Amino acid sequence: MAITPLSSPFFNDKEQDNGKDAEYAVFLKGITKIFPNGTVANHDVTLGILKGEVHAILGENGAGKTTLMRIISGILKPDSGEILIDGKPVRIRDPMEASRLGIGMVHQHFTLIPEFTVRENIALVLATSGWLNLKKVDEKITSVSKSMGLEIDPDSKIESLPIGKRQQVEILRLLCQDVKILILDEPTSVLTPIEVDSFFRMIRDLKSSGKTIVLITHKMKEALQISDRITVLRAGRVIKTIPTSEANEALLASLVVEGMIPATVVRRGTPGAPVLRVESLRVSDDRGRPAVDGLSLVVRSGEIVGIAGVAGNGQKELVEAITGLRRVESGTVRLALHDITNKPTRFIIERGISYIPEDRLHRGVILTMGVHENLALKCIGKPPMSRKSVIDRGLVLRNAENLISRFSIKVPDPCTSVENLSGGNIQKLIVARELSNGGEVLIAEQPTAGLDIKASEAVHQELVALRSKGIGILLVSSDLDEIIKLSDRICVIFGGRIVGEFVPENLDIERLSRLMLGAE
Amino acid sequence: MIEWAVLIGLAAATLRVAAPLLLASLGETIAERGGLLNLGIQGAMLLGAFSAFIGAYFTGSLWIGLVSAIVGGVLATLLFGVLVVSLDLDHVVSGLAINLLASGLTLYFTRVLFTGGVSPYLGELFGPLPIPILSQIPVLGEVLFSQTGFVYLGLISVPLVYMLLTKTTFGIRLRAIGEDPVTASYLGINVVKMRYAALFAEGMLAGLAGGLLTISMFNTFDTRIVAARGFVAVSIVILGRWNPWGVLAGSLLFGFTEALSLRIGIIFPELSGASTIQLFALLPYLVALVALVAGGRRVRGPASLGKRIGKQ
Repeated sequence: MAITPLSSPFFNDKEQDNGKDAEYAVFLKGITKIFPNGTVANHDVTLGILKGEVHAILGENGAGKTTLMRIISGILKPDSGEILIDGKPVRIRDPMEASRLGIGMVHQHFTLIPEFTVRENIALVLATSGWLNLKKVDEKITSVSKSMGLEIDPDSKIESLPIGKRQQVEILRLLCQDVKILILDEPTSVLTPIEVDSFFRMIRDLKSSGKTIVLITHKMKEALQISDRITVLRAGRVIKTIPTSEANEALLASLVVEGMIPATVVRRGTPGAPVLRVESLRVSDDRGRPAVDGLSLVVRSGEIVGIAGVAGNGQKELVEAITGLRRVESGTVRLALHDITNKPTRFIIERGISYIPEDRLHRGVILTMGVHENLALKCIGKPPMSRKSVIDRGLVLRNAENLISRFSIKVPDPCTSVENLSGGNIQKLIVARELSNGGEVLIAEQPTAGLDIKASEAVHQELVALRSKGIGILLVSSDLDEIIKLSDRICVIFGGRIVGEFVPENLDIERLSRLMLGAE
Repeated sequence: MIEWAVLIGLAAATLRVAAPLLLASLGETIAERGGLLNLGIQGAMLLGAFSAFIGAYFTGSLWIGLVSAIVGGVLATLLFGVLVVSLDLDHVVSGLAINLLASGLTLYFTRVLFTGGVSPYLGELFGPLPIPILSQIPVLGEVLFSQTGFVYLGLISVPLVYMLLTKTTFGIRLRAIGEDPVTASYLGINVVKMRYAALFAEGMLAGLAGGLLTISMFNTFDTRIVAARGFVAVSIVILGRWNPWGVLAGSLLFGFTEALSLRIGIIFPELSGASTIQLFALLPYLVALVALVAGGRRVRGPASLGKRIGKQ
């Protein structure tokens, strides 16, 4: 495309742009979306996506990126504003309508049916007549995957494919629908660094075949690396749209977050004696297949051990086995003094294991109970919280007030029910409860998933502070940056085993990726 | 030595008794493939049985009874749809509520309409329809081709439902909804419309299943006429692993045990003490229990089965 952004009407202050220009694949005019609970997700968003460009939408979690794109793809309806496709105003009632207009979206949580084959998943959206014509679907798959250089077997079941492949199936499906505008929501968050490289190559191929690509991301590096233009969203508003050639990380950072964020200075810990020892652990998954397969690891006091790996390689089962939520088939889990293998969860908690679960809404808190009650959950059954089975409500309340101020949890009052709290504050609550429990070992599972930058920083600082107090931390995260930033040792998990170990000082990212993919 | 004729009679009775179970469980299969766990099928069958009887009795036409059976069944499953699809309420609670409503309604109207609360007998029934030529085949003709229209309908429905679920766009979309309704809606599938359509189909089949009890099998109506056939149908679906052919096998198994329990005194005359015979009436339910425990342990149904959308 020969236009330079500065000469395009979008950057001309004098002439109010109306988006009628057919240079724009999509033009949003004054889009506002308010959710029933009062959250303003998008406020008067005006934004143009040029034909054939890669346009990054950059912003923190909760900035309104996904909501905006769901409006374009017909899943949500805006409360006000106008959408123009190829210069013509349209009303996008549902995702079918969006795909007729040539718009398709790859969601962060894939929209593939795991029990179906690739062919069936694609047939699901291609079918027009009453009878399924799988032959025609196959022809389409073959011709599209040939032109894109993708190698996908239409007969394979989605649940048997690795994440990177599933993403390709998602994109293949959109291409089979002859989509012209592809919206990708945080596409790299599930990929390993090597997969990211090949993903970027695919984006470039798509661009050169004439597709328009919108990339939703919270990673500045990524936006700088792959996009032509970047739009920064903050708190539901467009802060600025700039050509990538004029952007840099410092500029973007100042646009993405209001005010300065104190970056956590992470010094390495000083590990002491082993506090958690896992030896030749074997655990099965829900379907009885081996998930953890002879895994051994040690966490010492004052040390953060990061578990890096692609989701689904036994991380979940490992954590559940340590915390007593899943049966250990063989092997042992030991704390400094106690054998906790297959012991009841209550026993394990009392011997000093604290746990920040990934599924914080279901495993971390009881949503309909008050903040004060949730904060007391782990010690409410014994003195001084309760005597002879009667709870000392005054003490529960004082404990809550104390923790709320210590961890600066934002709540209107300590008895508010937890469902009214934001994700970041719920996480603070869980961290506060787990840390006040006085354990020697903390299992932190995806501790910052879904939190904004400030809340993530706060959690990181807490983890580092705990480490300096001599607590041993097992950090399980799919966010590789987080693992690298905090860990004293990085263990790579693949197929239920630890397949490699690094110290951050001599980390070889290439090799780490290969290990995560099981390539060594 | 058991007589040949008794065995043929047993086989024919198996099909006859299996017919209501087969029709109902095929209906339930369609609903469950779309993620709807409809225990209210028991109520749908009861309403089908009742409205079939009322329709046939007051107009004197069995065909009108047949149509009203379908109407009764569909009304019950659409009510389930309002509760579960539109209002997103709990599937089990809604299903049980419909069962209570159906037994209350039918009891009330039986008392209001008929003196002494006892339904009269119908003048005629949908009897066997021997198929010309085929019914002349020895053994097979008697067992398979001298049945009522309901039996033929049930048997023909098996491949039809199978094709509906696997070979049509409707089927693949319905199964996608059964796995993950939120994803399906993201793909532009109208989950609400599809689920109502599935319930409509289930209502027709369940209504027929209930209706055949009054207008083809028992000749009258009683509020206990369905017995536990609706719940048995739900177990058959699990046993048949949500596959119409498996459901056929399951229905035949239950049909066989029920037919056997009715004939146990003829086949084994030495057992014909009254209390023993009564005990054999339990056989189908015992088989249900054993089959579910033995065969239902490792099966995985549609992933969203019985789950509320708001809770996923």
